[in-house]
Amino acid sequence: MSQDKDSLANTFIVATVLCLVCALVVSAAAVVLKPMQKRNAQLDRKSNILRVTGFTNDEIREAGVEELFNQRFEATIIDMDTGEEASEACKAAMSSAGKVLDDVVTEYDQLWASKSKKGEDWAEGNDNRTAICRKLEKKEDKCGIKYREKYSHVFKLKSADGKVERYVFPVRGNGLWSLMQGYLAVEPDFQTVAGLTFYEQAETPGLGGEVMNPQWKKKWAGKQIFDGDKVGLKVIKGDQSSNPYGVDGLAGATITSDGVSNMTKYWLGPSGFGPYIAKQKSGGSSSTAVTTPAAVTTPVVETTPAEPVLGGSQ
Amino acid sequence: MASETSPKDLILDPVFKNNPIALQILGICSALAVTTKLSTSVTMSIAVVAVCACSGAAIAAIRDRIPSSIRIIVQMTIIASLVILVDQVLKAFAYSLSKELSVFVGLIITNCIVMGRAEGFAMKNSTYDSFLDGIGNGLGYALILMVVGFFRELFGSGTLFGITVLPKQEVVDGVSQGWYEPNGLMLLSPSAFFIIGIFIWILRTWDPSQVEEA
Repeated sequence: MSQDKDSLANTFIVATVLCLVCALVVSAAAVVLKPMQKRNAQLDRKSNILRVTGFTNDEIREAGVEELFNQRFEATIIDMDTGEEASEACKAAMSSAGKVLDDVVTEYDQLWASKSKKGEDWAEGNDNRTAICRKLEKKEDKCGIKYREKYSHVFKLKSADGKVERYVFPVRGNGLWSLMQGYLAVEPDFQTVAGLTFYEQAETPGLGGEVMNPQWKKKWAGKQIFDGDKVGLKVIKGDQSSNPYGVDGLAGATITSDGVSNMTKYWLGPSGFGPYIAKQKSGGSSSTAVTTPAAVTTPVVETTPAEPVLGGSQ
Repeated sequence: MASETSPKDLILDPVFKNNPIALQILGICSALAVTTKLSTSVTMSIAVVAVCACSGAAIAAIRDRIPSSIRIIVQMTIIASLVILVDQVLKAFAYSLSKELSVFVGLIITNCIVMGRAEGFAMKNSTYDSFLDGIGNGLGYALILMVVGFFRELFGSGTLFGITVLPKQEVVDGVSQGWYEPNGLMLLSPSAFFIIGIFIWILRTWDPSQVEEA
């Protein structure tokens, strides 16, 4: 028996059979559990959106993530180049790329739309690909994402009377090891940051991973975004409590901090949500303009208090 | 050796008399990393018990077929597959906990207890005995994790399972509340060393036979 057990043939047989069995078990588990994991990931993103807009864990637990999100948030899809709301155009573009979505606002996956790996299978200059995303110029690509989707989600937190209290933008950018994905919440004046959160990152635990630390995230609230026309908001080392545009960097995580800085700069800039922000600021918001003609005057009023807020904090 | 030990001894021996962490000083690393909270300690304990028991049983079941030249690799493959399985299940049923545990679930693969029991016990004993031995050693590990997690969460955050036990001293809306000043050291890894050290001290005072000859 022991002679047979240690023979070359038996070694190969045991190794092969073992690998097959283990591979089968692992892949079966992955396939069976995938739908549940996907749902969990979605719920996690929604609870991140809720938390970045100031809901506490207790409030979320009490009301339920899904319920609270549906009740308070309006999800929209915008065209990033024009800043217009464009859920129908997005639906058409996605189906031309081979993904038919019934409910485009909830099912649209913008990371899928921008995945550069997917694009490599597709022929250069393929129309389907350009319909849903664009390759970024080297100079433009501040946070190393290579491809940017044409359509993006924007989540609006609404008060009971339908006024938008917060805008939440999905943002992502490269840190040291990983693509950090998160949400940036801004006040309706588009000048003040309400919060920043990440739902996925794989930076060094204890160093770059501290981007998830609530104490650090707290430093973002109330910071100013635009300094003139440019995005002034950035991450710098040192105490930034007197600087309205600066957030203190993470000790021992320079590359991660720079990544976060570049990420916010890019997504708030002209290649990111700049066109959308400009449109909202000038009062071109199609949804409000259509419902009430008076809304044309309201945004004008809204832009004026935006400046004293900036001046007051300086 | 195995034929004479009863199932009860197989499970209880590693918990108190031959604790993998306290006596064999194995698997310390993860005991430091995941014990800042009781909820993560419990999840990690369950995961290790499951992996330890199932890997022991699986390895014992095929121990007569495993060629000695590749036995460590075979053990590793089985353990790694089980760990991936546990990780997938956690992601499906306890997503937020699995996110908090992050890499440490995957690192059960490198936990010396699992590997040590596979090589030291499962290769020589029956499937049933190995399964019980796995549970016992997993529980031994779990006991330490629970004790460490209990003290670290209680004194570090003033809570147990996230429920406030010692109200934190803080000022809310100008009104001073609570009285407990959380001990920040408890949230850092060194505190786990202190607690494990004290635990070993108490254990060896209670059972002097565990004290090594100097």
